[in-house]
Amino acid sequence: MNTRVNPNLAKELNKFGKGNWNECFHCGNCTAICPLSEDGFLFPRKSIRAIQMGLDEKLEASVEPWLCYYCGDCSETCPRDANPGELMMAMRRYLTTKYDVTGLSRKFYTSAIWEYAFIAIIALLVVVSFLVFLPLRPDAASMVNESGGVMINSLVAGVSPDRFVTLIEYGDWLMAFIVAGLLISNILNMFYKTILSDKSIQIPFSTYITEFWHLIYNFVTQASFSKCEKKSYWIGHLLLMTGYTIMFIVVVVFLPYFQVEEVFPFWHWQRLLGYYATFGILFFLGMVTFQRLRKTQISMKYTHASDWVFIIMLALTTISGIILHIFRLVGMVEASYYTYIIHLAILVPMIVIEVPFSKWSHLAYRPFAIYFSKLKLAVMKEKSVEHLAPAM
Amino acid sequence: MNSYSDNGNSFHNKVHPNTLVIGGGIAGIQASLEVAKAGNKVYLVERSGTIGGHMAMFDKTFPTLDCAACILTPKMVEVGQHVDIDLLTYSEVTEISGNPGEFKVKINKKARFVDLDLCIGCGSCAAKCPGKAPSEFDSGTTLRKAIYIPFPQAVPNKYLIDSENCTYMQSDGKKCGVCVKFCPVNDCIDLHAEDEEIIVVVGNIIMATGFKPFDAKKIERFGYGKFPNVLTSLELERLINAGGPTEGKIVFRTQDKKGNWIFKSDGEQPKSAAVIHCVGSRDENCNKYCSKVCCMYSLKLAHLIKEKLPEADVYEYFIDMRAFGKGYEEFYQRIESEGVHMIRGKTATVKENNGALSLRSEDILNSCLIEQEVDMVILAVGLEPSDGVDELSKMTGVELDSDGWFVESDSLLDPVGTKKQGITIAGVCQGPKDIPDAVVQASAAAARVLQSIEKYKEVETI
Repeated sequence: MNTRVNPNLAKELNKFGKGNWNECFHCGNCTAICPLSEDGFLFPRKSIRAIQMGLDEKLEASVEPWLCYYCGDCSETCPRDANPGELMMAMRRYLTTKYDVTGLSRKFYTSAIWEYAFIAIIALLVVVSFLVFLPLRPDAASMVNESGGVMINSLVAGVSPDRFVTLIEYGDWLMAFIVAGLLISNILNMFYKTILSDKSIQIPFSTYITEFWHLIYNFVTQASFSKCEKKSYWIGHLLLMTGYTIMFIVVVVFLPYFQVEEVFPFWHWQRLLGYYATFGILFFLGMVTFQRLRKTQISMKYTHASDWVFIIMLALTTISGIILHIFRLVGMVEASYYTYIIHLAILVPMIVIEVPFSKWSHLAYRPFAIYFSKLKLAVMKEKSVEHLAPAM
Repeated sequence: MNSYSDNGNSFHNKVHPNTLVIGGGIAGIQASLEVAKAGNKVYLVERSGTIGGHMAMFDKTFPTLDCAACILTPKMVEVGQHVDIDLLTYSEVTEISGNPGEFKVKINKKARFVDLDLCIGCGSCAAKCPGKAPSEFDSGTTLRKAIYIPFPQAVPNKYLIDSENCTYMQSDGKKCGVCVKFCPVNDCIDLHAEDEEIIVVVGNIIMATGFKPFDAKKIERFGYGKFPNVLTSLELERLINAGGPTEGKIVFRTQDKKGNWIFKSDGEQPKSAAVIHCVGSRDENCNKYCSKVCCMYSLKLAHLIKEKLPEADVYEYFIDMRAFGKGYEEFYQRIESEGVHMIRGKTATVKENNGALSLRSEDILNSCLIEQEVDMVILAVGLEPSDGVDELSKMTGVELDSDGWFVESDSLLDPVGTKKQGITIAGVCQGPKDIPDAVVQASAAAARVLQSIEKYKEVETI
């Protein structure tokens, strides 16, 4: 078991969130009030204990921080005002940097300047590549279809509409490939730390298959979040997640069907999906921004720089998308072209920075953590071992 | 200033030999007796209709399991009979003026409506009285009449009328009045009596205003006030007491015909009970401090439940077990050996599940979650400063700390003195403490008072 003690662990964690690790006097209220805490995976108290004791290997080997959706019940009722929910949030940020082998994640979380600089560089790359390789054609003003809408794929000089879509699609796939590669390597690292290095448990191959549905099911429905007492948080989060996933699939996988010259009628499924996604994302963003500024809801009281970056980038992407949509509908050609570039210059860095390195990585870590916890629980059930971990 | 180094002797003026004691709980009783027994006059002012305070409500005391009433009531009677103690029950101090050594104190004697000298305590009035209200002495576990004696051993053992629940007074004299009709003594009950104001002059004031229990309704997730069988510790104390509403039987709370939730002696008995510690104490959302007595009284209650219901399972959910005094650790071990289950972990929620109460806690020493079903839950509520300490603080100039306890002049070497000369504090009003500590402090406060009186007498004779 863990023998190494890192006396600076709590200090290290303080870089990732607000909270005083030594406030906790281990009454167990947080664990007992949490509807997601269960035997074998008890949190937040045990995770806080690991940090108080400086057990960094134990922390890195735990999936518990990802099982928490931060409803804030524990923080509201904590008799020491230790804010266990926020401490779990700090642990998630810390773990994100530990899964990331490049070290960039740590830079982004501990220094906002690094994060802004990287976003700016990627945005600039997008803008420059457009202006240099895909400039606006001189006769662009005539690129309007019979219904008065801008023919978005025909605005670039020297490239046919089909070719333009294909180029953008290639760009999409390249971005998806890089992001997915980084994210998968992080997940493998997480898998190594939480499952493979745990010698106390042997998971048979068949269990990986029988429990796999948890991964998909929890990704799509976030069923775990729905167990929290505050159901509205789950609904808001689900709106964002489904909205964003729909948009991502449409833009990356089905771009040739989405980015077309003609303007579809209002009730066309593509437009309806787009409107649902826009509504879902904007609703969530509005709610979250309001709560983060208001600071009465405990889970929204302390906002880390990375949270604002996430909100602002997502908001700018959505708003530029909406403006682009309007410009296209009313036939403003040049404005459409430049808005298209701005839209991409926000979207691309957001995905490249946020998904593998920052806040957005939780889209993968959470369902995987649930999957890993189910693997362990399945084995434990088989062994009829009641408690995974001995008393700390 | 009056600090521990000059022991409160630096009175500049003459010290009046009379003393005012505010609060008639065990600390006030002890202090009054100490001062009066030395031959000095004491005015003991008590807000309720009887002296005795919270101790009178307890069934047993820890760690010796002495019967609380057996050791308290003789002292109460002694107070009532002492020639040098002027007992002013149902009265409140409204103004303090003057200087150390000679305070002028205004006391409002609330209308009792029953003449203390004439009442023979026969009970004919209460037998016919139609007005009812929850009994303060029984912690609301049963009802009393609008004309009542707080409890059978009350001192003074005389009736009083609670005007808010009196049919006659609530109807502006249009209805009822049966108490007057059935009272065998002429002019004993005067339903038109009014508050009376008196002024006394005293040289010293001892404040012994005690505490009030934490309001368990403030922590909604424990379900007090929602689930009938979630009780406060004081309610259970009254159930266990042979003089209580159930003659000492621990039973479920039931509704009477009018819908009042009460306990009846023929009620069904629980098979299991859990005590939740630190309710309202050691909690940043309520009171940050440790109330000091709850661990020990919870152990005592567990013992008493086991004594009444040997087959019952009893659980104690605690954060830390604070058994800090003489014989206390031994008491804790004794209760544990009696088969009470001790679980380290604060209960987070109490939910009702088909009549049973379900507790969710983390068993910290065993790293597992516990979902425990029990028939009865007892909330070990903490101590809070009494209502009215703010006013008293303004009147006397003795400061309150951030928790509302009176500030002593030195917490180590002078826990009874205050920064105001001639004013001493005793008992829980200075900070949570148990009976032995309250008694010790009361005696110490009395010693301080006697010292100042004696010192002045010496000066006068020379």
